[in-house]
Amino acid sequence: MNSTSSTFDPSQTGILLRGQTAEIAGWIDRWETKRVWYCLAAIFAGAGLFGAVVGEWRSPLQAFYGGIKFPLVILLTTAGTAFLNGMLAPLLGLNIKFRQSLLIILLSHTIAAIILGGFSPILLFVVCNAPSIQISSSASWAGHSIVLVVEVGLIAFAGILANVRLRQLLDLLSGSPPVSKRITFAWLGANLFLGAQISWLLRPFVGSPELPVEFLRSNAFQGNFYETVFLALKNLFNS
Amino acid sequence: MNESSNIPPAMNPTIASIGRGFHQSDPPLGEVASDRRPIASLIMAIETVLREPRCVLFQLTQPQQGRLRRDLVFVTLVSSFIYGLVVGTFSGGEQLLAAPVKIASGLLLSAMICLPSLYIFSCLSGARARLSEVCGLLIAFLALMTILFIGFAPVAWVFSQSTTSVAAMGALHLLFWFIATGFGLRLLERGFRHHGAHDGMMRIWTLIFLLVALQMTTALRPIVGTAPTLLPRTKQFFIAHWMESFQK
Repeated sequence: MNSTSSTFDPSQTGILLRGQTAEIAGWIDRWETKRVWYCLAAIFAGAGLFGAVVGEWRSPLQAFYGGIKFPLVILLTTAGTAFLNGMLAPLLGLNIKFRQSLLIILLSHTIAAIILGGFSPILLFVVCNAPSIQISSSASWAGHSIVLVVEVGLIAFAGILANVRLRQLLDLLSGSPPVSKRITFAWLGANLFLGAQISWLLRPFVGSPELPVEFLRSNAFQGNFYETVFLALKNLFNS
Repeated sequence: MNESSNIPPAMNPTIASIGRGFHQSDPPLGEVASDRRPIASLIMAIETVLREPRCVLFQLTQPQQGRLRRDLVFVTLVSSFIYGLVVGTFSGGEQLLAAPVKIASGLLLSAMICLPSLYIFSCLSGARARLSEVCGLLIAFLALMTILFIGFAPVAWVFSQSTTSVAAMGALHLLFWFIATGFGLRLLERGFRHHGAHDGMMRIWTLIFLLVALQMTTALRPIVGTAPTLLPRTKQFFIAHWMESFQK
């Protein structure tokens, strides 16, 4: 088994993306502050760049806000589910310490952030080619929709790949596919549940053409994501 | 090699080549004597890319290959310029300069936009290429593609002198571009297999690159025909632009 260097090395991005689970398991074994700093830097750089590009369609100010908010969604979700996920792992059959479960999830989010950062030039190209906000209202909404759909598609792609790598790592650590499957779905469920609400609170990311550019909407803390989806479905079936 | 990893180990290139339709004798880079022959000049670089791509792929993994990379970039620029000149002869006038500049810059811009995702996809597919090696492979891909453009240039010129239809000439240039890109992508895929790539992740990147390059041709229009302005004032999806062109 290859052992990683004890000093931080940016080229270990390749190790994460390739899913070299034995090396990554070695990282999990020992808490290294430099590893955590690397994850934080990668999340801020990758997700921040992606968020900035998403917001750029609306305005440079929205790009600045997006560059701050995207990494915040990831980090607040990680922090918010840290204790829960740390408890779920041993309950579901993988006896790891709290800081180990936190590092595993942080590494998974780092993979997603690196992928999003890598796709930022392509997203920027899409933003440059989509109908811009200055022109007619219908074209503005078309541009908004294009950016939104591509953004969601890329986030889903990055998320799926990050979870594939997470599952592979948990397979190695637990030695039991059923255990790793349970833990993956439990962690995914917790992260998605809280992550959706945090994304709702921190909206807007693309920026509606008809609303002003704001860091947070004035009614951000009134209502929640699930309530809004429920009301929308209710209206849909009642209409 | 990490044997306890859940990722399948990189397949022996010979075994991989049997399964994937390459020549059965495709040993690892560097094992064949001709792989290690140095590429000492620009002409040699062009010949080697066409006749002995293994040698180019191997040399690009070696240290101190800045000169080879520069030569390949130069070949890419000159070849796309020459082909752009042929494209410009259809309309003449300022297109004789605009078309070459747009084709060369559009190609390089598309490659730069897709480079970060190429590195990511190469890692996701299991390839152990460093970022510098990925850059080298991308440069080799561009060089082969544009060298093939030169091969198509006389054919394209003949057609451009015998028709006035912008749509027909555009379609013909796209056909040549697809064929040249296909050969280039074959080289790229082969290069990544030698670095240990073992699944279809690279196919996704191929699709992304094709979409970006096709949209770039629309973002930089007109390339074949003429227009009141050098660059478009309106944004348009490339399929919408094609449909509009065919209806004229």
